[in-house]
Amino acid sequence: MTQNGAVLCMRGVHKRYRRRQVLRGVTLDLSPGQLVGIVGENGAGKSTLLRILVGDLALDTGAVECHGVLGYCPQETVLHDAFTVEQHLRFFQVAYGVDSLHRAYELLEVLGCAEYRQARLGTLSGGTRQKLNLALALMHDPRVLLLDEPYQGFDWETYLRFWELAASLRNQGCAILVVSHLAYDTARLDTLYRLDSGTLTEAEDVAGDAANSGVKQ
Amino acid sequence: MKRWWSCYGTATRFALIEQARNRLALTLLVFFIPLQLLVAYRVAVATQVPFYIGAASQSVNVDARSLAQITIALQTNALIVGFMMFTATARSAPFDRRLAQAGYPRLCLVLAKVTSLVLAAASVGVCTTAWMQLYWRPQQPVLLMASLSIGALVYGGIGIMLAAVLRSELAAMFLLIMTSIIDIGLQNPILNMAGAGRHLLSILPAYGPMQSAITTVGQRQVPWSYLALGFCWAAGTSAAGITTFVVRTRSRRTNTDIDPVGPAAVDEAVAVLANSTTMAQ
Repeated sequence: MTQNGAVLCMRGVHKRYRRRQVLRGVTLDLSPGQLVGIVGENGAGKSTLLRILVGDLALDTGAVECHGVLGYCPQETVLHDAFTVEQHLRFFQVAYGVDSLHRAYELLEVLGCAEYRQARLGTLSGGTRQKLNLALALMHDPRVLLLDEPYQGFDWETYLRFWELAASLRNQGCAILVVSHLAYDTARLDTLYRLDSGTLTEAEDVAGDAANSGVKQ
Repeated sequence: MKRWWSCYGTATRFALIEQARNRLALTLLVFFIPLQLLVAYRVAVATQVPFYIGAASQSVNVDARSLAQITIALQTNALIVGFMMFTATARSAPFDRRLAQAGYPRLCLVLAKVTSLVLAAASVGVCTTAWMQLYWRPQQPVLLMASLSIGALVYGGIGIMLAAVLRSELAAMFLLIMTSIIDIGLQNPILNMAGAGRHLLSILPAYGPMQSAITTVGQRQVPWSYLALGFCWAAGTSAAGITTFVVRTRSRRTNTDIDPVGPAAVDEAVAVLANSTTMAQ
């Protein structure tokens, strides 16, 4: 943990794709038990920010510090069509080094896709694939959770279950960062940031920010 | 060490499942290979043609029908295994990257790919040799099987290498076909009759497997150097593709302290939600 108690720390992160400057000195702290949201328009650099945090992308200047087991749910469902849901869970069980799939099965139950355990990914709907995508990010008990558009394709019931799950995890001390292009349900967040022109600014009034965005809460 | 074997075993099992689900390749293996061997044997004239065999250091008269079968088998096996490895590597690339990011040892993922390549190449080598036995008796059947397998191995390596730079399956197939036409087509008996152009031919990927396979038609030498040449090509092309995978999956994260033990947050949160779901029902 860093000196200020944060488990995830970004300091002055800059990132450029050739001539296009995407991030301009982004600074962010994420503490245990904190549920933080980042909103921004398409192409604002939200996914770039997360990919830097998980180590998938190199930053140009700045620093990133991460302490604890990391869980990452990418925006695109990075799954394999040749395998079943169960085989995905087995693969990630070995990757994370967890003893049993008990939690993974419970996550599938909560997200409403337990009946698809033996189904091949190629036969599943986009929403069900996204549920597995999210379950793979959660099944190893992460301390820091980075979620990139985690509820896209979810039906309303699953969407609500997602927020219940996120709130429960936060209450258990997990630090959660949710990135989205839409500011839905911002009242569920502890802090909301807006990524605009490569700069991260805190939205002082979370509810007001959503209203200004012209989106429903 | 136990974890390493568990990782390698799981990755290999799933790599083989993935290959087994490639139904087009299996169909070609079961139906197309015997059909083309039959056609090649029937169409070729029953005569002897001179072919330069490096292991004997001279041109040797070889049965044209056996030569036709070996040439066609090498090309088909190369295309089947080359395309199998390209599709398997290209389609699983993002998933492999996510696994590596989640902590899966990259060496295990790489070795699983190599294991599936070796098994696929050996399978087509064994099948093709078995079918050829119906038409003629090679002097050294094991050597023939090894040569055909190594030929497939070389193109499997090329498939892995192409997956590192190409995303289009059409482009990969086109490149594999063009490469094999130049490679195996140039080694026909007309160009290879007196061994005049062998210095140029010897740099082709399938030169070693072709030489060692033709040696089995009536020769008793074991052409180790040609087998080794094929192995070097297979190792080189596979290594190029695998190096790209390793470079692309390396972590760019700095100043990171990964805590091996986290809280039981997910477990508890899920238990709470599972209970609430049960109660709601």
